Amino acid sequence: MQYLFYFFAAISIISALMVVSARSPINSVIALIVCFLSIAGHYILLNAQFLAVVHIIVYTGAIMVLFLFVIMLLNLNQRTEPQKKLMTRIAAVVAGGAFLLTLLGATRQGLQIAAVNPEDASVGLVGHVGMALFKDYLLPFEVSSVLFLSAMVGAMMLGKKEKATA
Amino acid sequence: MSALILTSVLGVVLLYFGLFGNKKLLAPVGIVGLVAALVLSWTGWNPGIMEFPTMVEFDRMSVLFNCAMIVVTILIFLFGIDYYERMEENVAEHYALMIFSLTGAFLLTSYTNLLMLFLGIEILSIPLYILAGGKKRSYRSSEASFKYFLLGSFATAFFLMGIALIYGVTASFDLHVIQAKLATGASSNVLFLLGSFFVAIGLSFKVAAVPFHFWSPDVYEGAPTLVTAFMATVVKTAAFAGFYRFVQMTGLPPALANTLLVMTVLTLLVGNVVALRQSQFKRLMAYSSIAHSGFLLMAILANGVMTPNTLFYYTFTYALATVGLFVVLTLAKRAANGNEAITIFRGLFRANPWLAFVTMLLLLSLAGIPLTAGFIAKYQVFMLAIGAGFIKTAVFAVVMALVGIYYYVLVIREAFTPAEETPVLVVSPLNWLVITLCGISVVAFAVWPLNLVG
Repeated sequence: MQYLFYFFAAISIISALMVVSARSPINSVIALIVCFLSIAGHYILLNAQFLAVVHIIVYTGAIMVLFLFVIMLLNLNQRTEPQKKLMTRIAAVVAGGAFLLTLLGATRQGLQIAAVNPEDASVGLVGHVGMALFKDYLLPFEVSSVLFLSAMVGAMMLGKKEKATA
Repeated sequence: MSALILTSVLGVVLLYFGLFGNKKLLAPVGIVGLVAALVLSWTGWNPGIMEFPTMVEFDRMSVLFNCAMIVVTILIFLFGIDYYERMEENVAEHYALMIFSLTGAFLLTSYTNLLMLFLGIEILSIPLYILAGGKKRSYRSSEASFKYFLLGSFATAFFLMGIALIYGVTASFDLHVIQAKLATGASSNVLFLLGSFFVAIGLSFKVAAVPFHFWSPDVYEGAPTLVTAFMATVVKTAAFAGFYRFVQMTGLPPALANTLLVMTVLTLLVGNVVALRQSQFKRLMAYSSIAHSGFLLMAILANGVMTPNTLFYYTFTYALATVGLFVVLTLAKRAANGNEAITIFRGLFRANPWLAFVTMLLLLSLAGIPLTAGFIAKYQVFMLAIGAGFIKTAVFAVVMALVGIYYYVLVIREAFTPAEETPVLVVSPLNWLVITLCGISVVAFAVWPLNLVG
């Protein structure tokens, strides 16, 4: 169990690093898919089977395919790669380094990580997710529909072709 | 709760009107709905049975903030009748998205659960990302939309990470449970501190506090004026109400208080000093809004009994003055063929003395000159900060407020300088009404300061 955790953790970190460091966007996307798969592995280790499956279907399946399509449509190559100025790079390194220092400083005294919730074997099954969703989290569930509706309205509004007149 | 449901439905109704109805009906229907929401919100003043107590709590503070935001939105809709008159397409979508954004704002003022805070911020922001790009033909508008979206998503990522860390320490999203856990010593946990630090970053982005303010001038400038007015008022009010609830529930651990203190000082400094060099009115208003964020952050930092009251009074009077000024800007901009420099106000007094007079009142209120509401608001913030022991910060804030007077007076001077050719301002009766209402209210609230949250 523990070794599986380290295995998945290593894969997620390495693939996540590859996402940001890969030269070609296609490689980036593929590394991201690996990262998502290993995170799904974590979900299974945590006994959240439903979440793991949904994660694979939605993220690895739908969203990443969309990503790949967009990248292919954009037809990125060497010429279209944005040129980063030296100043931008220096600024990015300084900002990133400062953030890293902050985090290191904050966690310098060591972290106390302890399991807060005891493990519950039944927690990740569909039935329990449904119960939680429609009983405890009914309001957020309903309210999120406003969010999706406004996102859809926005997609229509920005994507729609304007009439040639006017 | 009923106001929340009403506004969500109202947005959908407006979309239907856009499909089948008359374009002229949109704003009136929206305003009627908003008035109904205002009444419904107000009936919650004496709290009865709370629905979903683990998710939202419409207490008096949230009722007040909600009513203020509805009033400001009504004013913006009144302004919208004239503003959207010449627009052919997507008018219904614009109104509906603003209503949806307002729904998110309701959640921000009333959440008792970090999940609702997250949903509230997202529902508030996503319509705004779209609205900022409302002028599809304008590159600046698209740039504003895209920039706001990218940076906003980045802030959201931090914010979500913070919520996850807090959950990791306390095993709950419910602020009451978190509060109980913190009382038993979890508040010194490094992960909790990091979590609240990240949440504070996300919220600071929304209120445009330095160093998370870079988006604000560009987005204010690029977005359609009406949307800018909405962003500067309703969004800021909601974000500060949300910020205060977070601080109130989790308390201010010393590490977070220090972070906020640094941010307050930086925000006051950058907002006021950089505003001195602006020649475009919208950018000036953006930096002025950053500067006001600094004063509001100071009120949150003081974290006293009077903080919600002060925040409410400050944001409401600030919002009234800002909406009025953006209406004046639109009128002046039309007379100047789309120019947005401060110089377009030149000759305003000749063209329309009443308009110039009200503009002066609104600007003086933002500057915080006595006899206007802005002065009382700033005074309350200073008293709060001094009462909480932040004397040096308060003195610094007073100095910065004095610096701030300069750039507001600069605009007033333009308005009262005669131009070579007097601009021809076309003021529709509704716009006149909005400007006059704003002008009267900033004086009226100074005479009768509201003291309602108790």
